[in-house]
Amino acid sequence: MDTSKPAIFVNGGLLPMHVQKRVRIVIQVLGSDRGAVIGKSTDDHQLTVKGTPPSVPLTNFVEVIGIADSEKSIQAEIWTNFGDTFDTYSYNQLCQLANGEYQLLFL
Amino acid sequence: MYRSSEFDGSAAAFMGGGFMPSQTTQLPDSSSSSLLSSRNREARCLLALTVKQICELPSNDESNFVIDGVEVTNVTIVGRVCQKEDKASEYTFLVDDGTGQIECTRWVQERIDTDEAEGILVGKYVRVHGHLRGLQGRRFINVFSIRPITDFNEITSHFIECIYVHFYNKRIRLPGATTQSQLANSTMNTPLKGYQTAPLNQSSAYSSADGLNNVGQMILNFLQQPIYLTNEDGVHRNVVAQQLNIPMDKLMDELQSLVDNGFVYSTIDDDHFKSTVNA
Repeated sequence: MDTSKPAIFVNGGLLPMHVQKRVRIVIQVLGSDRGAVIGKSTDDHQLTVKGTPPSVPLTNFVEVIGIADSEKSIQAEIWTNFGDTFDTYSYNQLCQLANGEYQLLFL
Repeated sequence: MYRSSEFDGSAAAFMGGGFMPSQTTQLPDSSSSSLLSSRNREARCLLALTVKQICELPSNDESNFVIDGVEVTNVTIVGRVCQKEDKASEYTFLVDDGTGQIECTRWVQERIDTDEAEGILVGKYVRVHGHLRGLQGRRFINVFSIRPITDFNEITSHFIECIYVHFYNKRIRLPGATTQSQLANSTMNTPLKGYQTAPLNQSSAYSSADGLNNVGQMILNFLQQPIYLTNEDGVHRNVVAQQLNIPMDKLMDELQSLVDNGFVYSTIDDDHFKSTVNA
């Protein structure tokens, strides 16, 4: 039972609040650029994800868990394919709630 | 005013499927354990929780957990499998949901259970249903069902459900326990004081110290006579002026002041007035 490595739900707008901390984010893959993946967050911010993606091809939506190393980029540790369709609106709402009023349930 | 009974119906319809604790479920007192277990059978519910909530649960005797005033027996969590251990008759999974990690043990006896457990691989997202247990300050889940997530919207849905369960148990289920300050952006807030339909000092013993003068008080007393209170159409201002022997312009001034303060209102037209006190 270990709560020492929590990762908080973020979107593009909330990422700056958690720089140097462990975060989780769902992005829509736009492309890759010099070894990093460029993606769009659920609130339409463009972000860079560094690190080595898994050997399987990435689907349209990917969840990345890692350390936020700047306001617009993440050093990824874990990549999970979330498929080609995903409800970004609900996920975005969840990010707002998890960082706001209900933060005590998550962090 | 938002009725909690209406809410209960819609809550059961779209969420929980009967798993939510009802309005009448009260936390059992610390009486004899047999009484507790018989009440448990009826009050048992399934709660969607985050691992952080589970780990923070206080417990006196490692078998009775309470969260937000509700007894916790069965829980459901959604997370990634970080570790998997395979022993002869049990599988132990370490599930990380982003808020913490918890050990989930699945005991297997039949082939179908083994197949289910074998299908869970490290790195997969899973949905776990199980019974919460505690030992030496740590928490474990005895798993009834563990299955891989296929639609990842289930992750979003689960965490929103955790928020909902927390909100429901804290705010809706025990309305007497709500506090005003935390419900600023909730549409389900029913203010503790309630809407005041009429000023509390509305009576024939109305005191002029509250800002209305004697004429206003006289008019109010006149309108509060039972015969006028029961008449839905109110009283024509001519009648008031005539009965109280007040000039019309003075009467209209006073009536306007009474209307502005909520003591009187106009009814069928601008010439008829009635007191706001209930007949």
